[in-house]
Amino acid sequence: MLDATWLIPALPLAGFALLLLFGKRLGEPWSGWLATTTCFAAFVATAVVFAGLVGRAGDNRQFDQHLFTWFKAGSLKVEVGLLADQLSITMALFVTGVGALIHLYSVGYMHGDDRYPKFFLYLNLFVFSMLMLVLADSFLLTFLGWEGVGACSYFLISFWFERPTAASAGKKAFVTNRVGDFGFMLAMFLIFGALGTLQYAGPGGVLANAGHLSHTTATAIALLLFLGAVGKSAQLPLYVWLPDAMEGPTPVSALIHAATMVTAGVYLLCRVNPILGLTPGALDVVAWVGAITALFAATIACAQNDIKRVLAYSTISQLGYMFLAVGSGAYVAGIFHMVTHAFFKALLFLAAGAVIHGLHDEQDMKRMGGLRKYMPVTFGCFIAGWLAIAGVPPFAGFWSKDDILANAWQHNHALWFIGIVTALLTAYYMSRQVFLVFWGEERWRDGEDHGEPHEAPWTMALPLIVLAGLSLVGGGLNLPFNKHTELLANWLHPVFGDRLHELGISSASKWALAGTAVALGVIGIGFAVAVFIRGRVDPERLEPAVLQHGWYVDDLYAAIIETPGRLLAAFSAFVVDTKVIDGAVNGVASLVRNGGDRLRRVQTGYVRNYALAVAAGAVLILGYVAARAGG
Amino acid sequence: MAQYLPLLAMLILATVFAGGSFLASGLLAPKRPTLAKAAPYECGIVPDREPAERFPVRFYLVAMIFIIFDIEIIFLYPWAVIFRQLKGFGIFEMVLFTVAVFVSLVYLLANGALDWGPAKRLMATPTVDPAGARDPRRTSSSTVRRIGPTGKEAA
Amino acid sequence: MPLELPRVEWATILPETILVVGAMLILLGGALLRRRLPAWVWTVASIIIAAGAMVSAWDLWRRVSHNHQGGAHTAIANAVVVDGFSVYFALLTCGAVILAALMADSYLRRERLNAPEFHVLMLLSASGALLMAAANDLIVIFLGLEVLSIALYVLAGFAQRRAVSREAAMKYFVLGAFSSAIFLYGVALAYGATGSTNLGEIAAFLRASVSTHAVLLGAFAFLIVGLGFKIAAVPFHMWTPDVYQGSPTPVTGFMAAVAKAAGFAALLRIFFSTFGTHRLDWQPLIWALAVLSILVGSVLAVVQTDVKRMLAYSSISHAGYILIGLQAATVRGLAGSLFYLLAYTFMVLGSFGIVTLVARDGDARTGLDAYRGLGQRRPGLALVFTVLLLAQAGVPLTSGFLAKFYVISAAVEAHSYALAIIAMLAAVIAAFFYLRVIVVMYMAGDEADTADADPIRVPFGAGLSLAVSVVATVIIGTILAGPAFDFARHASILRL
Repeated sequence: MLDATWLIPALPLAGFALLLLFGKRLGEPWSGWLATTTCFAAFVATAVVFAGLVGRAGDNRQFDQHLFTWFKAGSLKVEVGLLADQLSITMALFVTGVGALIHLYSVGYMHGDDRYPKFFLYLNLFVFSMLMLVLADSFLLTFLGWEGVGACSYFLISFWFERPTAASAGKKAFVTNRVGDFGFMLAMFLIFGALGTLQYAGPGGVLANAGHLSHTTATAIALLLFLGAVGKSAQLPLYVWLPDAMEGPTPVSALIHAATMVTAGVYLLCRVNPILGLTPGALDVVAWVGAITALFAATIACAQNDIKRVLAYSTISQLGYMFLAVGSGAYVAGIFHMVTHAFFKALLFLAAGAVIHGLHDEQDMKRMGGLRKYMPVTFGCFIAGWLAIAGVPPFAGFWSKDDILANAWQHNHALWFIGIVTALLTAYYMSRQVFLVFWGEERWRDGEDHGEPHEAPWTMALPLIVLAGLSLVGGGLNLPFNKHTELLANWLHPVFGDRLHELGISSASKWALAGTAVALGVIGIGFAVAVFIRGRVDPERLEPAVLQHGWYVDDLYAAIIETPGRLLAAFSAFVVDTKVIDGAVNGVASLVRNGGDRLRRVQTGYVRNYALAVAAGAVLILGYVAARAGG
Repeated sequence: MAQYLPLLAMLILATVFAGGSFLASGLLAPKRPTLAKAAPYECGIVPDREPAERFPVRFYLVAMIFIIFDIEIIFLYPWAVIFRQLKGFGIFEMVLFTVAVFVSLVYLLANGALDWGPAKRLMATPTVDPAGARDPRRTSSSTVRRIGPTGKEAA
Repeated sequence: MPLELPRVEWATILPETILVVGAMLILLGGALLRRRLPAWVWTVASIIIAAGAMVSAWDLWRRVSHNHQGGAHTAIANAVVVDGFSVYFALLTCGAVILAALMADSYLRRERLNAPEFHVLMLLSASGALLMAAANDLIVIFLGLEVLSIALYVLAGFAQRRAVSREAAMKYFVLGAFSSAIFLYGVALAYGATGSTNLGEIAAFLRASVSTHAVLLGAFAFLIVGLGFKIAAVPFHMWTPDVYQGSPTPVTGFMAAVAKAAGFAALLRIFFSTFGTHRLDWQPLIWALAVLSILVGSVLAVVQTDVKRMLAYSSISHAGYILIGLQAATVRGLAGSLFYLLAYTFMVLGSFGIVTLVARDGDARTGLDAYRGLGQRRPGLALVFTVLLLAQAGVPLTSGFLAKFYVISAAVEAHSYALAIIAMLAAVIAAFFYLRVIVVMYMAGDEADTADADPIRVPFGAGLSLAVSVVATVIIGTILAGPAFDFARHASILRL
């Protein structure tokens, strides 16, 4: 059964190849169905491999399928193989599962788009890359998948490239991610330099030999990998691309920018937990960055009006929770939250997509309202997602968030405090969203008349219902009642071993912590009720401009990265230069551009100047030589 | 450093001599310029305007061909001096060299490098310069002055 | 007085001989039969000659690699060396000649240029490159350098009717002569410091001496400047964009591939093998050159709007990456540089091949605008260019990725961490401008503007050349990566 491992990535790849060759001929809707089928088949294959692993003894649940030798020269040998163990199969299960559902949803959502087959082509390529990332048995192959998902994300964000915002958002995502990739590459070289291999598993692999790393090297590797994770998983300070990435079609936001790709950073850190275990300092950095990001993004989410941007900031915030968990040594809690988050956040995105679909591409929540009568199915599902993320028992989010917070409490009370405040804010902004969209006046009746909002077709509704069910019962994966109900923890235990911090707090304080979390969640919801249903407080006062603009971070980046001269010009000539607002990443490009322009002036075209440069270079070298000879 | 002393002395001497000559002629020579003396050529036809700007390119071509054969001669002379000692090796190498030069001569001849007379189209040269490097006002009749048999400009 | 006459082992310089004799035959044939034969005959002849040289080089390779160190030897009064290194470059150069000849075939007809002369000059230039790689004497290296360069000066100005081409030739000639003089000065200093111009004798002398004489350091400096010019390393790169842009595009491709490879052959052999004992003295210089080339090349490529010029800057940054391998001064680094050159040759020839086709009549359309919407008009061509650009950016599954990986891991192994970091940062910048071209080809330009008036044609020879380049780029990056590495590793066994 385990031999079927290669099928998991091969199926979406086959889908991609078929769509590449026959996509145009298949057209709508068959290309969509083909992609959905391959993704679902990959899920089945994963389930088969999962069953195979379960069939093995507890400490032997690791299967390294060697596919071929990529190249081999001297000491450098790169094997291509897939590693199926508890961690990677858990990831693969929800990637393919949620992926299949979102494919199905897209069949309905993308209806009528000009480039319908191309969308599914990218989507299948994405699933393939993501599975390579997860199932890779070496850093190099993970990196390949890492770059692959980045490229797919880039293509899919700017899928509607006719919109300049979409094109520029794609560019922003690409460049920001490259900063992270840089960290990943460096870490890879360091690992190779120190251990001479990039394979994960096996007696000569990185994981088994991590203990040979010196403390400094391990810290450097951990922090560089974390830099990669920060880029991919949109943490401070590199999160800026994710809100803009909402320019992509909604299924893309759900699949890539909520459920799967953005969690790759968390997965990577869990994968290299033997290295992380060597450096408590690096772990602290991870935990603090995660906690601060969680709080920071949650504050911004409270004041956003775009239905998808709220969810984007919420995703950043929830990813912060996962890093908080990893940094506290609670890897299982991180993975647990990753899975439940995949369920409820994908659900929320897809439901938001259904709302946008029903309202004919309206994304401003201030122009929605009262939709619960018109879209009962979407409404019901959205409620499930809302309760899950707000941490209301027994929904999935309650259990995973509670697990993280309990671990944070044990690790550092300050981290727990940040986490609990974030939980309060989360409950508030999600309630705000629900009330703005589904309750209140029917504000969409203002302005031009689109007709009544309509419920989504069954292809879109079915994934919503399935995900709503999972959001309800997902917590069952890891119930903290006793050792036997902690299914996920028991399953993943061999991967983490003794590096997993045992939760050593008494069951009474556990319940007290959980009670506090629930109470704060309820307070958050209650406050939102007071503001948006009862109208006790003017919402405008709760949404200051600084939060609407996301603490002006984009503008700050633009200001820092742009040259000071340009900044001066921006202040004096135009109070607000459009180019500064344009975004930080365009700033990076223009920094390079400005530098380039200045250098370009040296390129005069006169031979005499070129000869002078050669002579100057020669003199410099001679100067060095003279200094060396003298000294 | 002692062995470089003559070199230094030579350098100084040369500078002193050159500078001294200029200085001496400037100080000693009488200066009584007339119009005829100031002309570029003191005897011959008195030019009534600046000379032409352009020579036919063939002039340079011939000069370059001459240099190639010049070098061949320079190469052949020392070989001829010791060709007995160089034996077969020398002959072989020299034949190789001569063949190479001969091949280029054939190439030149075939391309009409030595054809004198009015310019002949060597190959089918197409249309005008796309880059616009050639000014249409600058033609061979405007830049090359043809002097008639009487010494006056041909009409 | 009896003279000591050298024994000439013709077999050892058979590839060079084939190229030179072949070139002279084409010259004669061209002079006598030009009007009677169609233009493709000269292309075919050129390819046959280059292939012949390749076969003879392959024969040498077999002899060298089969009995390892024993196979490598010097010949012709120690002036020439036959080892894996020299033969590797012979094979690489001849391959480049074949690809460039295929590409030039249709170009010469399109631009109505003289075919025989073009091929003659290219073959002669290639023979110079071979000689540079096989030389065991600084004077012979200089000889090879001049044979290579002088033919290239003429080739750069081959499209005489275009002013930019003439300008390119003039600039290349003046600056090339300047750098040759500096190189020669370095040779003189090396002779002064060690008492020989023979690389083997210099190495023997240096092994025996402990201290570094100031004159020797001067020799390092001038040799680096002279060869740094040929490989277009910053700050000796200023000619590159102008000359690359002005030259006929197939010549640019040939120049970028062969002249750079030959320059590196000389640089690697002189510094790695001959001056290897004094590596601490020259490593910092190479370090600085590598960093400058990588950064300046990448940064300036970003601001270019002309694809040909952008590729020129990208070739400068590639030179920096290849220098990383030399800077490491290990066998691994040397093999990395050699592998990089192999990958680079195909990438750059293919890329300039695309530029040749897209530029169309008059070699004029090289701006980024000419590529707008290429993905719709010529999807095949756009796909090939995409693969080549991705390879240049160092994307996995292409030869470019492995090349960068190999040299950077050699740098890490040699503890040059700063260099490795800078190289990777620059790769991030570089990805931007390669991607920009791809984006322009695929995303922008639904309007079928002037394209229909003058469609891009892909003649058979050019198509074949492109196909070979792109297939080589992909398979060296994937299934043939192992053998290609072995090839480069064997070539790095130098005869000291």
